[in-house]
Parts: sequence; C-alpha cells; structure tokens
Amino acid sequence: MRTDAIPTQPVPLTADEAEAMLQRQVKKHHVAIILLHWFNAYVWLFELVTGLAIISSPLFRVVPGWYITIVEGFFGSRANMLTAHIVVGLAWIFVFLVYGIFGHRTYLAGEILRKEIVLDRDDVRWLIVRVKTILGLTREPLPPQGNYNAGQKLFAVSVYMMIPVIMLTGLVMTFRLFSPQVVGWAVVLHFAAVGGVVAGLIIHFYMGTVFPEEKPAFFSMITGNVNELHVYRHHFKWWRDVKLAEREWARTREGVVSELEATTASDPKPAPPGA
Amino acid sequence: MARYAMVTDLRKCVACHACTAACNVAWGVPPGHARTHVHVTPLAGTFPNLSSSPYVAQCNHCEHPPCVEPCPSGATSQDADGVVRVDKGVCIGCGFCVAACPYEARFINPADRKVDKCDFCSPRIARGELPACVTTCTANAKHFGDLEDSSSEVHRMVFAEGARRVESATIAVAPNVYYLGKPEHLDLVVASFPPRPPRLLAAGRTWRSLVRPLVLAAVGATFLGQAIAFFVQLGKGEKDFED
Repeated sequence: MRTDAIPTQPVPLTADEAEAMLQRQVKKHHVAIILLHWFNAYVWLFELVTGLAIISSPLFRVVPGWYITIVEGFFGSRANMLTAHIVVGLAWIFVFLVYGIFGHRTYLAGEILRKEIVLDRDDVRWLIVRVKTILGLTREPLPPQGNYNAGQKLFAVSVYMMIPVIMLTGLVMTFRLFSPQVVGWAVVLHFAAVGGVVAGLIIHFYMGTVFPEEKPAFFSMITGNVNELHVYRHHFKWWRDVKLAEREWARTREGVVSELEATTASDPKPAPPGA
Repeated sequence: MARYAMVTDLRKCVACHACTAACNVAWGVPPGHARTHVHVTPLAGTFPNLSSSPYVAQCNHCEHPPCVEPCPSGATSQDADGVVRVDKGVCIGCGFCVAACPYEARFINPADRKVDKCDFCSPRIARGELPACVTTCTANAKHFGDLEDSSSEVHRMVFAEGARRVESATIAVAPNVYYLGKPEHLDLVVASFPPRPPRLLAAGRTWRSLVRPLVLAAVGATFLGQAIAFFVQLGKGEKDFED
C-alpha cells in the first residue's frame, strides 16, 4: 500500500532518492504573488530611502544631514521628494487594494492565513533550534515545518499588523484627516510601524539573499518553484501534504479510469443522444 | 544679505485692526483666523493715572525660531534674510510648530489644513513693495525695512530710538519685530502678553524619547544579530548544499 510509503517523520534519504527529489519541482508561489513581492520590494526601497530623508527635524531624524541633502538633491526640492513619497505610497495602497479585492479568496482566506501565521509547538521549538544552529551552538535537526517556517510566520504576523497602520497613517498625513493632533500622532505611528517591519525585514533580507540554506527559496520568488528536496528538508509537513494530495488525486483518477473502463466494456457503443 | 525687520510704533497705533484686515484680504486668510492680531492691554494703575497700550502680534521672525526644530518634515525654515518661512508643499499639518511658537503666531489654515502665518509678505517684498499691513496702517505706525541697511527707517528706530522686542527673562529668542513706545507702556505689553515657553506636543515627546530609541534599538539589534550570524557562517566556510 502506498499509505505506508509516505513517512510521518523525515527519514534519511538514499543518494538516488535525494537526486530524484532534487530534479522534481514543487510549485511554491503563484505568479501574482511573485509580481506583488517584487513590486512591494521596490516600493519599500523607494519609500525607505525618501522617508528617511523626509524626517529632517534634528529632534526626530535617524540619518545624518548629508544623507538628507543627497536624497533631496535627486528630487530638486523637499516638496518634490515628499510628493514622490506620497505618490508611490498611494500607488502601493492601490495595488494592495486591488490584490485584496480580486485575490482575497485565494490569498486572504482564513485557512490560508492560518497556515501563514499561526505558530504550533514545532514552530516554537524551531525558532529556538534555528537560532542555536546559526550560532553554531547545536547540531540538533530542525523540527518539521509547514509551507512557511516559524520565522516567516512571525515576520508575516508583524507585517499583517503593521501594513494597515502604515497605510492608514500615510493616508491621514497625505490628506491631513481629522485634526492636527491626529496627524501628529500619525507621523509617530507611521515611523514606529515602519521601524517594526524594518527590524524583521533585515532578517528576511539576510535569509533570502545571503543565507546559503535558503537559496532555493530565493529563486522560488523568481521561478515560483522549489525543488522537492528543499521542501523535504525544510518544510517536511508541507512535503507530506503535497504527497497526500498527490496520492488522493491518483486514487481519484484510478477510480474514474476503472469506472470508465467498466462502462465502456459493458456498452462499447453508447446509444446516440435522443435515440 | 538683508535682515528684514518690522517696527510697530505703539504710540501711533490706534488699534483699528486695518493691518489685520489688509493682511486677510491680501492672503485670503479664512474668517476666524488671522496672521496679525491687534490686542489692547488691560488698564493699569489707579484712577486717574490709568494707562493702557495697543499691541500688534504677528510672527516675529525670530533669530532663534523655536518653531523650526520641531517640524518633522522640514517645512519650516529660516531664510538667509531672516524670514521664517513655511513651505506649503512640505507641510503635513501636524501642528508641532504651532505648539512651539511662544507668540501663538501660527495656526492651521482650515482651507488647506496646513500651517499658516505671517511671512513678511515675501511675494510683495520680492516685487519691491512693502508688506500689506505697513501700506495700510492708518496711523503710519508700522515700518518695515532692512536692519543691515544703516540708512533705513527700521535701523534708526531700533538702534537710535530704542525700539524693543517682546521678550521675557526666560523666553528670549530674539524677535525681528520691534515695538516703539513709552517704557511703561512697553513694560505693560510684555507683562500682559508675555511669550510662553515653547511646547513639544505629546506625540513629539513620545516619538523623541520612546519611539525613536525603541525603533533604533530593534533595528540595531536585528542588524547586529544578522551580522554575527553572517560572520559565524563565514567562519564555518563554504559547504556544498545538495538542495
């Protein structure tokens, strides 16, 4: 029976099995997600560069004066720089709105969100072991993970919480909504929320571009696919889900095929409709 | 470079509000708001030796303007000619500068919900005209000019006739708006309309003393953590990854 062929825990692979898995691709990202990811990345780069230069008050700024002068110089004036920051920000909100309206059933359904953000027992252990292994403190294997590992889930939670704050406070400042007091607090919240995301973004950037074990994950944001071995090694629960789904599909197909064969055998020439 | 200044002769001022009206018309200031305010001090002394003085308040274009630093986006700045200016294209209407001004010279204009104040009629000066309040003043009490030009009217009034700034012992930010008058009247004006300490709004205080340190610490900590991870990785050396 094939039921026994799908292990519940990762088992050591033979060289041939590993090689075969390395050749097989598993779809990880929809093309809409890939496009959105890179759009989002460029928007963040632009908004961070201009945003840091907009905060010029010596009481609040986080960059040296020469940085502000250089960035402002690219735009010709502070007003142009602020306008560019606002226009790109509004475009960002618009794109996410469109994505939310047309894709909410595919990407924002409760079940999918739960898979992306809820941490289970394995995830908590994974976080501890992951930090230890990066620092070379342990050789313990990482607990099995689903589609997204615990680090990605934590980042997703903070992003899902901060993005609405960034968008709403941005709109409040752009259109100077409610009252000057509200605008004043919006400036502070905008900065705080962006700061929260950037703290996670540094890890996200490192894991995606520098960390060697996650190399296939980086390319999956370009091709949409990862090799099966990576899924097996880093997202075992997901690998199991994929295998179970494949078997289910194969069974259904077999059932349909045998049913079809049975009907064609008993009645080789079906009567024409309407006869 | 010029150093623009205004001198109001309170001995001539009749508190007719013509300056405020002219200013409102010239710059389309919405009703209920103004860039200049004409006040009259309460009566001082005992009958029959009572005294009182008019007082025209406006942006003082201070040498050390407390409104510039708190502006998050850098919309408020001081020009080389001393004029404290608001760049409406950069203002986000947060009101931090309104709280900072010791003279209550700033307000949020309801028309564009951005900050508004006297700019010494910069566009008129650029055309070679005098500010609207100066040309309109019915008693010729308002004078405008360049303090660095020793032949100017304002230079004479400030350096020869002893025009004074409205400052207190604690709030001395060197206004470029001066007042002429009897010493007891000027004392009365300063006592009745003293500059208040610049305030930083609660949002600004939270940003400065709580949010900024927290954000810098969080971003710094993750950056440092990743830097350590990177060097540990380098130390371990290149390794072939099958996947």
